[in-house]
Amino acid sequence: MNRKTSALVLVSLLVFAGLALLSGLFSGLVRLGWVIEGGSPVSPLIHGPLMINGFLGTLISLERSAALEKKWAYAAPVCMAIATVILLLGIIVIAQWLYLVGAILLLLILTYLYQLQKEMYHIIMAVGGACLVTGNFLYLYGLPIYNIIVWWMGFLLLIIFSERLELNRIMRPSQNVQYLFTGLVLFWLAGITLTYVDRYSGWAIASVALILQALWLFKYDIARRTIRSTAWTRYSAVCLLIGYGWLVLAGLFGLWKGLPAAGPMYDAILHMIFLGFVFSMIFAHAPVIIPSLSGKDIPYHNYFYLPLILLHSSLLIRIMGDLFWLPVIRKSGAHTNVLAILLFLGGIGFQLVRNSLKKSRQLKAAEKS
Amino acid sequence: MDTSKSEIRRRIARVLRQVIDPELGVNIIDLGLVYNILFDDGKVIVEYTATTPGCPMRRYLQQKVEEALEEIDSVKEYEARLIWEPVWSVEMIIPDVDFFAHPPPQIDNYSTKIINQ
Repeated sequence: MNRKTSALVLVSLLVFAGLALLSGLFSGLVRLGWVIEGGSPVSPLIHGPLMINGFLGTLISLERSAALEKKWAYAAPVCMAIATVILLLGIIVIAQWLYLVGAILLLLILTYLYQLQKEMYHIIMAVGGACLVTGNFLYLYGLPIYNIIVWWMGFLLLIIFSERLELNRIMRPSQNVQYLFTGLVLFWLAGITLTYVDRYSGWAIASVALILQALWLFKYDIARRTIRSTAWTRYSAVCLLIGYGWLVLAGLFGLWKGLPAAGPMYDAILHMIFLGFVFSMIFAHAPVIIPSLSGKDIPYHNYFYLPLILLHSSLLIRIMGDLFWLPVIRKSGAHTNVLAILLFLGGIGFQLVRNSLKKSRQLKAAEKS
Repeated sequence: MDTSKSEIRRRIARVLRQVIDPELGVNIIDLGLVYNILFDDGKVIVEYTATTPGCPMRRYLQQKVEEALEEIDSVKEYEARLIWEPVWSVEMIIPDVDFFAHPPPQIDNYSTKIINQ
């Protein structure tokens, strides 16, 4: 596959991930009570599967395949993308099967990466992939989302943690410090597994692990240093540090309230992790991932702090609404969460278009002269 | 070493110092990601690596290295070649670099490691 064709394929798959994100956000709004005349085109029940598998499953498998540059690896994001379309068409069981197959293919990619470089961070990454396989198997098996969600969390947390562990080699943490982090990952896995026996105790263990992992990241992540840099580097560092802050809050909240199966506390804890932490990481990495997949640069602009601030302040409002059971506050916070994500995507799109136009103008000017 | 080749290497190293790892804010020369600048029958080959085989920035780096080489008038034919041997490690980061400098290291302050190969 030559580079040009490959870029087209990558952008096409990126579009499917974007479709899953937008429909997942829409599904979330329907969950929050948006009433669509004649019924919603997207079921409120598929918000989680669309966000975890459709958006992040496709995106993560796409970036790994692009990194490997192996044709077979693209089967994972293709499978995830097809599953998303089928899920949106309402053919749930086939979509569940395809998400499971996509997850297995992603696990194969991550295992292959370990074969290439036998390092602890690749093991953690592969275990993250195994979490997605487990979650998707249970989803197909028919377990309710609240009984699956810990595995989907595991998928994202471990993939992100492994990337941080890899990058933070630059901080030269000692072997023992690296073992400590690996131990905390195992501790967290033990906690989420125990939730199937005793949901409260299991989640309490996972919460303690989450707090300790976040503290480890605060201490050893390069973000503490790169925050003194400029432009995207500084922006990424801010996103990372805020994300770690949400992990601590999620851990404390989990110790206090446990992991309920539904209701406002369930909403709060899930979104502290998925929005507060995971979306912070997405904001941090978008300026690297999008140029890498599309071949187009995204010029930095201070504007990007607007959606970042909006996302986190509205998440705080949403959680206050959850905590004190104030549905209007909760809804307004959640709606603003969606707005913040759209503003971020809009900013990326605007900068991409503006930069392309600028380059084509420069090219024309050069041709004339 | 041939003077013209030495000069071309110097220029290449200079432009590659403008290729910044966006997450670290450090250029790829100081990070030790550029292993060799070779000449093969008039063709310049830049051998570089990524920090890990699963590095999501791999394609970005390839594009940036090629764009940097394109900038140099005296380089007509070039290849940016990604290699995995030797495996990159933190020990390859150029010593004494002002790693978390603000702003990132300046282009006129480059190491002579690559140039003197």
